[in-house]
Amino acid sequence: MIALKLAYRNLVGAGLRTWLNVGVLSFIYVLIIWHQGLFNGMYPQTSRFVIREEIAGGQYWHKNYDPFDPLAVEDSHGIIPSRLRALVRENRAAPILIRQGTIYPQGRIQPVLLKGIDPRQTVLDIPIAKLLTDSDTLPIMAGYLMAQKNGFEVGDVLTIRWRDTNGTYDAADGEIVEIMHTRVPTIDMGQLWIPLDRLQQMALLPDEATLIVAGRDIQEPLNLPEWPFKGQDFLLKDITDMIKAKRVGGFFLYAILLFLALLAVFDTQVLAVFRRRKEIGTLMALGMVRSGVIAVFTIEGALHGILAVGMAALYGIPILLFSAYKGIPIPSSAEGYGLAFPVRLFPVYSAWLVGGTILIIMLAVTIVSYLPSRKITGMKPTEVLR
Amino acid sequence: MKFIITFFTVLLLTASALYAENYPSGKAILDAIDRNMTSENRIIVSKMVIHGRRGTRTIRSKTWSEGETEAFTEYLSPAREKGIKMLKSGDMLWTYSPNTDRTIRISGHMLRQSVMGSDLSYEDMMEDPELSRHYKAAVTGKETIDGRPCWIVELTATTPAIAYQSRKLWTDRERNVPLKQELFAKSGKLLKRLELKDVAQIEGRWFPKRMIFKDMLKKGKGTEFIIENIRFDQEIPRHIFSKAALRK
Amino acid sequence: MKNAMLLFSIKGLLRDRSRSLFPILMVSAGAFLCVCLHSSMKGTVTDMVDSAARFDTGHVKIMTRVYNELADQMPNDLALMGVGNLLEKLKRKHPDMIWTPRIKFGGLLDIPDENGLTRTQGPVFGIGVDMSARHSPDTKILNLEKALVRGRMPGHKTEILISDSFARKLDLKIGETATLLGSTMYGATTTYNFKVAGTVRFGMTPLDRSTMIADIDDVRMALDMADSAGEIMGYTNDMLYDDKRMTGIADAFNRDFADPDDEFEPVMQSLGEQGMMRDLLRLVNVMVAIVVSIFVFAMSVVLWNAGLMNGIRRYGEIGVRLAMGESKGGLYRSMIVESVCIGIAGSALGTAAGLAVSYWLQQNGIDFSSMMQKSAILRSSVWRAQVTSVSYYIGFLPGVFASVIGTMFAGIGIYRRQTSQLFRELEV
Repeated sequence: MIALKLAYRNLVGAGLRTWLNVGVLSFIYVLIIWHQGLFNGMYPQTSRFVIREEIAGGQYWHKNYDPFDPLAVEDSHGIIPSRLRALVRENRAAPILIRQGTIYPQGRIQPVLLKGIDPRQTVLDIPIAKLLTDSDTLPIMAGYLMAQKNGFEVGDVLTIRWRDTNGTYDAADGEIVEIMHTRVPTIDMGQLWIPLDRLQQMALLPDEATLIVAGRDIQEPLNLPEWPFKGQDFLLKDITDMIKAKRVGGFFLYAILLFLALLAVFDTQVLAVFRRRKEIGTLMALGMVRSGVIAVFTIEGALHGILAVGMAALYGIPILLFSAYKGIPIPSSAEGYGLAFPVRLFPVYSAWLVGGTILIIMLAVTIVSYLPSRKITGMKPTEVLR
Repeated sequence: MKFIITFFTVLLLTASALYAENYPSGKAILDAIDRNMTSENRIIVSKMVIHGRRGTRTIRSKTWSEGETEAFTEYLSPAREKGIKMLKSGDMLWTYSPNTDRTIRISGHMLRQSVMGSDLSYEDMMEDPELSRHYKAAVTGKETIDGRPCWIVELTATTPAIAYQSRKLWTDRERNVPLKQELFAKSGKLLKRLELKDVAQIEGRWFPKRMIFKDMLKKGKGTEFIIENIRFDQEIPRHIFSKAALRK
Repeated sequence: MKNAMLLFSIKGLLRDRSRSLFPILMVSAGAFLCVCLHSSMKGTVTDMVDSAARFDTGHVKIMTRVYNELADQMPNDLALMGVGNLLEKLKRKHPDMIWTPRIKFGGLLDIPDENGLTRTQGPVFGIGVDMSARHSPDTKILNLEKALVRGRMPGHKTEILISDSFARKLDLKIGETATLLGSTMYGATTTYNFKVAGTVRFGMTPLDRSTMIADIDDVRMALDMADSAGEIMGYTNDMLYDDKRMTGIADAFNRDFADPDDEFEPVMQSLGEQGMMRDLLRLVNVMVAIVVSIFVFAMSVVLWNAGLMNGIRRYGEIGVRLAMGESKGGLYRSMIVESVCIGIAGSALGTAAGLAVSYWLQQNGIDFSSMMQKSAILRSSVWRAQVTSVSYYIGFLPGVFASVIGTMFAGIGIYRRQTSQLFRELEV
């Protein structure tokens, strides 16, 4: 106890330098917690959009379906299997039919994917309510990027041409009834959403679909040989990979910063041991064992870490809370091309994150404080007190 | 007032109904067209005039065709396109170019691309059905086009696997040449328009020497075809419609 | 007099290794870290807009007005013509920038069997890049050599690179022929034989799916686009994007070509004017500024400590010098001069080392994708640095100022010492 008290008094007595060291350490606490918090938030927040708007509990793909092979699209469709149809009726699965079509923005041919979805489904949370209409005009929902690139606005009428399953041309004027403000480019770019029953009629493919989105309450995916199930892990792989890469990138940064802070503490300790040789001698002369003296100095150094926690809490908690509350704005064209990003990213700080960060830094600081104190072992009270 | 309108409407309806009885049957017209236009085979040398946004280009080609499904085209000029060949056989399409010495099947999204920059897509090229086999026809009126009296014939597909569900023809009453043709989507939307001009007698048939093909959904002036030379029912060796012929 | 003092200090420093070597090493380590951190952070910023800049937006990009409106469709019929002239003009007006033409195109890549018939084929997205001459910088801009997975860089006419996964999908081997079926600038069907020299992977999913990269001259031949290009990209020589400057250049350019009736007039856009790039830049720059300033601050504390330590280590020496009659002011000044020397020398050394490492990182990068299990390699898994003009002086901030300030604080002690006590302290 006396060691702790002594250590504290010495430390605070050292004044400005202590506070600078503590300041640096506290920055590092805040930075690590904030930065990792951002990544903590990134996965759930990014995947939340994708889960909510695109993949829900996973997708059953028609066996020919390959989202990266535009040649395969026309051949990837099949009758919705009856076991899935039961789920669809209960609104626990949503079939999507994908067909190729052509639009003519500014009189030029442009290929698009037509995606049919039931406007009454609730498996995916996309604003399709307006597709539910009695009007003869084909209602179309376009994504934000698609609309921006082609200058679509709600109320615009565009001509779509497609071929039915026999290859017969068909064309219709559709009206843009909704522009979906989505952050998921894979449900936006190069595609138009229309009611499923209309697309099935248009393509002459009643009751058929290209993929079937399973509801989020899915327990055990059905084993359908014609319709292999693609789980969330598979569908979210791009996002997990990106975050992983970013996290690793973060560690380099922390390592360098922490190294610096530790260097500062180390220097301080060396300095303290050198300057206070007399004090050390006195303590030893007064009967304190060497290990006790080392403990005093080590604790003194380690206290930097504890004080830094306090200081970090002082200014860090408001900053961290503020950014968790306000979020970090992410521009829509943010890197990663083709990956979904939320408008604002909200850091998430877990007890694990905060506790772990403190623990690791404390441990490092303690070790760094201990190393110079070992010198004390070699000191002779008679010599230093001369 | 109301009475007068009703009166005239009734009068008009009766008149057109009466008139309809004087129309020839659609079938007869289609047969007549087919008799005039279709042949066992044909060899055409033609010019395609393509109006682009940056000027006009002319491409000359020679085409051998037989029936609905076989056609072989060789491009003659300009220099860059000279020697390029195209073969349609059944529902397949190949292209050959001498500078690469490659025969390539055109598939997938390429089929929807335009042929040589024209309003015609490869899909359209694949599409040249004998009308009477795939459509039932009804004459619905008459009109004069380019000074020629025409029947208006509306065609509806009888076979499902056909590109255009319905067509509308303005066919020359005497010469049995459709001077104007409109191709419709199933929804009834006008997709393509084909105008046949400069009709002249060739080997006993009436045939247009100039055609204008227009994709109605695309911007632009359309593509013009000028027939320089056409011969019917020639001796065409079978092997010309084979992939081997492409490389010759 | 001043010179003499400086000379004396330097002599002293050189002769007494404990006074020079250790502090200089300390300072240079600090400066080194600062430079490395700054350039690697800059590397991440640039990296965020960089891939877009390199592949898509340029620092500035020139297209015709109509091409710009439909750029997504790669409308080569609306491409720029007379590119040679335009490039000449641009190079004359902005000799400090890199100007390079590109052609983006779509088509079908067809792989022949032994009889020259289609073996496999797939839709392809192509980029025509100026890779012909040694003076062409575009190969570097696209990092083609680094992206190479198999094979080698194209060296001869008609040689191309294609996405590695695409090559696997088409079962295409190095050295095999791949025929492009596409359309010319005038819409005519065209085929062109290429030879696969190598395969590439960029770490960006859309590009790694089905891309081919060919020399622009071949593409011009293939697509009948003599002296034309879909886009002309402009880059600063140091590959650093300066939004204000680039937007200025674009505005000036557009004033020169201001005929509103000519839809084929070239228009120039800066990277910031394309998409939401400007917002992204702003955001990332703020983050980097925060991290770098924390770092510089921390480094300063460390070096200040070092300065203090240095002062304390020489406690005895200073006592002796005071005792020998040196004035306190003179002693203080000489210590500061020393620390300035050390600071400058150390910073210079550290900056040099830091720049060397940063340049290496800029050129090569560290790919830590292997640390992640069997995942698609993202470009961001390659850690690259970016040396900027700031990299050259950022190390001097903590290196000189912090260590000098540390010495100044430590030196204050000199004034506190009393001559009368010196001998007692020194126990002479």
